Amino acid sequence: MDLQYMIGILPEFLSVIPVTLLIVVVSAVAGFLLSIFVAAVRIKKVPVLNFMTDLYISFTRSIPILLQLFLFFFGIPVFLQMLGFNVSNISAVTAAIVCLIIYNGAYMSEVIRPAYMAIEKGQHEAADSLGYNGLQKFTRIILPQMTPIALPGLGNALIHLIHDSSLVFAIGVVDIMGLATIISSGSFGMQQVEVFLTVAFVYWGISFASEQLIRYLERRKRRVLRRTGYDMTREAGYNV
Amino acid sequence: MFDIMTVFESLIEIIRVVPKTLLLALIILLLSFMLGAVLTYIQSLNIPVIKQILDVLQSFLRGTPNVVLLYLVYYSLPLAISYFLSLFGVPFDPASLNSAAVVIVTFSICYSVFQSEIIRGALHSLDKDQIEAAQSLGYSTTQTLRKVIVPQVMTEALPDTMNAFLIIIKALSLAFLVTVVDIFAQARLVGAQTFSYLEAFVAAALVYWAICGLLTYLMNKVENRMRRGYV
Repeated sequence: MDLQYMIGILPEFLSVIPVTLLIVVVSAVAGFLLSIFVAAVRIKKVPVLNFMTDLYISFTRSIPILLQLFLFFFGIPVFLQMLGFNVSNISAVTAAIVCLIIYNGAYMSEVIRPAYMAIEKGQHEAADSLGYNGLQKFTRIILPQMTPIALPGLGNALIHLIHDSSLVFAIGVVDIMGLATIISSGSFGMQQVEVFLTVAFVYWGISFASEQLIRYLERRKRRVLRRTGYDMTREAGYNV
Repeated sequence: MFDIMTVFESLIEIIRVVPKTLLLALIILLLSFMLGAVLTYIQSLNIPVIKQILDVLQSFLRGTPNVVLLYLVYYSLPLAISYFLSLFGVPFDPASLNSAAVVIVTFSICYSVFQSEIIRGALHSLDKDQIEAAQSLGYSTTQTLRKVIVPQVMTEALPDTMNAFLIIIKALSLAFLVTVVDIFAQARLVGAQTFSYLEAFVAAALVYWAICGLLTYLMNKVENRMRRGYV
């Protein structure tokens, strides 16, 4: 074990963290927006779209993310050509981001939908009887109750996303793992254990940081719940 | 551009490796389940130093992606084995280690953490009265475990365990990095032979979809059946 070497290559890994962060942040935000749409379609049971989202969710759930990445990397140009655009290939980062947005959208919609379903029907009826319109009902009654239920699930989704983003090196993105494979092949197979141990520590650090972020939100949630005197076990039926 | 016939041809090639993939996943599931059970038991003992070590280890396993761990084990396991064996004077060539063994070891360790969580959750759901009732009926510890605890905990843990099985099947797609041929790796090989990657990957996606659909269906059936006896 060569600690000196591990510390020596650490700055190189830190310099590619922005690539990973870009992919994670873009796909987390866009995936979240997509998941709202998907969850809305499934909750409202929009005729044709509902069937399509069912298919979409079962697709993303049953196919390994690695295979999805390759499917998108090779499939997007073909798809665009069918639509008449003249594209022969797309950059790996674009393919990775598109794939992770679609994957994450399905994952998060399966967090948001149960959270919405957990709100009792009585809450909707009470809001209706008080004369709230649709938007008011959602923003003032439903959303504040949904958020604490959905928060742990969304946190998990983020951790999963960070882990899944480590696979984008397979289609040629130079992120942390991509750099690791480059370095390890450049060291003529001598110090691979050190390289991947360093990568493991970097990812551990990233996961740890995002866990702290989630913990902070959880603490905040508990504070807000305490202040408003809202008892989740009583009102929503269960506590998370 | 996109040829349906090639998809069918690739499909036939890919289906040939499905049994191997399922077998690998089953071995990993069983090993990780055993490891998870041991982990749960050790944690329940609450031994001061070991508990902290396990906590750090768990956080490490949960915080690092499977790919990184796979590479880490791939490069360090042969060295570790040859080091240990050299202590006993047994010669061992690091290059001779089967990469399937590497995959099994890595994923067993990875998923033992999740399995231990599943087992712990299932144990929590067990009513304490059940054990007391068994004791008052004069059951020995082994009898209580075999006739009261395990059947109930099994029913509780089954859905999550089957879910873990699906997750392992999907995670096995990483095995191509260490030259183990599973469904995904086979798709890559087929694609490379015919220069039609997209068709091969579509075929692989269909295979995965079918496996997951079938297993989910079976899972629901078995679950309904097991629940019938206890509710």
